[in-house]
Amino acid sequence: MRDVVYADYQSSKPVDPRVVDAMLPYFSAAGTFGNAASLHAVGDDATAALEEGRAAVARLVGAQPQEILFTSGATEANNLALIGYAQRNRRKGDHVIITEAEHISVLNIAKYLEKSGFKVTRAPIDLYGRVSAKKLRARITDETILVSVGWASNEIGTVQPIAEIAEMLAGTGVALHTDAVAAEGLVPIDMSAVPVSLMSLSANDIYGPRGLGTLYVRKGVQVAPVLLGGGQEHGLRSGTEDLASIAGMAAAAEIMAAEMPAEVARIAAIRDRLVGRVLAEIPDSHLNGAPLEPAGGRLPNNAHFRFDGVEGEAMILSLRDEGVAAATGSACSSKTLEPSHTLISCGLLHEEAHGSLQFTFGRFSKDDDVDRIMAVLPGVITRLRVLSPLYKAKTPA
Amino acid sequence: MKSTQYSEKTLEHFRNPRNVGTLEGPNVAVGRVGNPVCGDMMDIYIKVTPDDRIEDIKFQTFGCGSAVATSSMVTELVVGMQLDEALKVSRGDVADALDGLPPIKMHCSNLAADALHEAIKNWRAGIKPEDATTTPVEKSCHPRPAAVVEVEIANLDDYKGKGVYTRVDDLSALADQRVVVLDTGDRAAQLAIDLTDHTSRVVLMTTGKEPSVSSAVRSALRLSDVKLLTEAQPLELKGEGELERIRVHDLNEDEEYELTADALVVLE
Repeated sequence: MRDVVYADYQSSKPVDPRVVDAMLPYFSAAGTFGNAASLHAVGDDATAALEEGRAAVARLVGAQPQEILFTSGATEANNLALIGYAQRNRRKGDHVIITEAEHISVLNIAKYLEKSGFKVTRAPIDLYGRVSAKKLRARITDETILVSVGWASNEIGTVQPIAEIAEMLAGTGVALHTDAVAAEGLVPIDMSAVPVSLMSLSANDIYGPRGLGTLYVRKGVQVAPVLLGGGQEHGLRSGTEDLASIAGMAAAAEIMAAEMPAEVARIAAIRDRLVGRVLAEIPDSHLNGAPLEPAGGRLPNNAHFRFDGVEGEAMILSLRDEGVAAATGSACSSKTLEPSHTLISCGLLHEEAHGSLQFTFGRFSKDDDVDRIMAVLPGVITRLRVLSPLYKAKTPA
Repeated sequence: MKSTQYSEKTLEHFRNPRNVGTLEGPNVAVGRVGNPVCGDMMDIYIKVTPDDRIEDIKFQTFGCGSAVATSSMVTELVVGMQLDEALKVSRGDVADALDGLPPIKMHCSNLAADALHEAIKNWRAGIKPEDATTTPVEKSCHPRPAAVVEVEIANLDDYKGKGVYTRVDDLSALADQRVVVLDTGDRAAQLAIDLTDHTSRVVLMTTGKEPSVSSAVRSALRLSDVKLLTEAQPLELKGEGELERIRVHDLNEDEEYELTADALVVLE
């Protein structure tokens, strides 16, 4: 790889080399390449591999193997969860609640549901990006069938009180879906303890391959398929299973289950050091999202800042020149030219949202990444502030 | 195309922008365009000779890579030009000089040419830099509603006891809330400053260009963590059973937007 400090784990993660090794036997004639639907022995080997993979993913999140469906990724899992559940349960009601902190995949599916005749309510978030069970409850009507709350924000890293929300919904007949992609591998997820109905996961976010995800469907929860064909995955997701990727996700899940506590502590230490240094060394800098303490309110790998008077895309371009890969919620980096909806919903003004900069760390982050970032970031901010008509230092240097 | 897929020339101007800064003196005018709401804000200063030539030009820009590069390029294109000639420099000329811009970024080249033209207009109208106001861009990123003449929050009473406060006796009751304090003078501003000990988000909202406070309170405000929101007129309160959002009229841009808030303080 180029000599770049990669601090954008939220957008993509490298596949763990051990996962690649686990996948290789599923491509060639000497290995397991069959179709799990075939009745011959080659097909039986494929079926065994498929079910082993399902069981490994289920173990990571405290689920039963039959509650795990493989999809082409978390986006498809979100489509199946929201569209599939809403269509299958339409006779019970036509109202769906999401939040203002959702990933764009859920936001756009919700827009599609509205076009299809459903009513969608977007519940607000607090200063730190948190959804409250109380605000959700105030929006439930007799027509509400589904609430969808991301387990954590992919942007500012705020962890939602999913257990509390699930408890509030228990007994109401309203299903809870959670897109857990930002949270998986970083916070404990246990379906045997939290009564979630539907949960989307991605393989890449636990250092598995891209192009594979899963939808957890709790036993008894009814979903209509959105992709039709040969009836694989209990008829809910047609298409021949991608065994190599499934074996990869299974290996990734096993590695994650074994290494997560130590890994999370190490990543959190890197993140904490960056937050401490940025706020101490760069004037007029702010942390967006939940505070670092108490732990548990924020993903341990997420640092999300804003810098007064500086625009996000300009920061990203400058950092790219300095060999640092980060992300921004600025409008100028988006296709719509709208700034991050999550930051605006947190209460930030547009010009503040434009000045945001996100760093996310992961398994292959190095302890000295923070030093390398801090060797260049203050200079980048200073240079852009000299250019900016908006920046007025509180205490002139 | 990725928004950051810029030509080498654009990147070069972003990395080494020409003519950064401001100008002062009797022969100077400024053009201010853009809108921080959209993420772009540009000031172009020109110094004009007695025979109508641009003798010197400087810029300051808040914005993305192409906003910086187009500002830099437009200053380079027109320095030394006659004003009439400079007025003919179009948006397209700036983009062409940078070997093109990604389609989604073309509005940035509009800004740079607009700021230059605005500066020339202000020069000819005899408007000094300190009196120049920001001109909203033609195609702003938000639809601009017709001018609103309301002066009071229509439904303030509906949210009394549900997020609207006319007095705050216990500051800690607003801990971790997004508090908007309406500028009603020194007492309100001081309350806003005191609240920053309890929550990280305190906005002091004023309809003026500056809050209507004494100079001592003004300097205290500047050093505080209070976010000043000027030329903003609250219009209406929104929320499901309690205050959640405030519809605000931006008096400078004549636009409306919604600000998320948990508490609104209107001191009696």
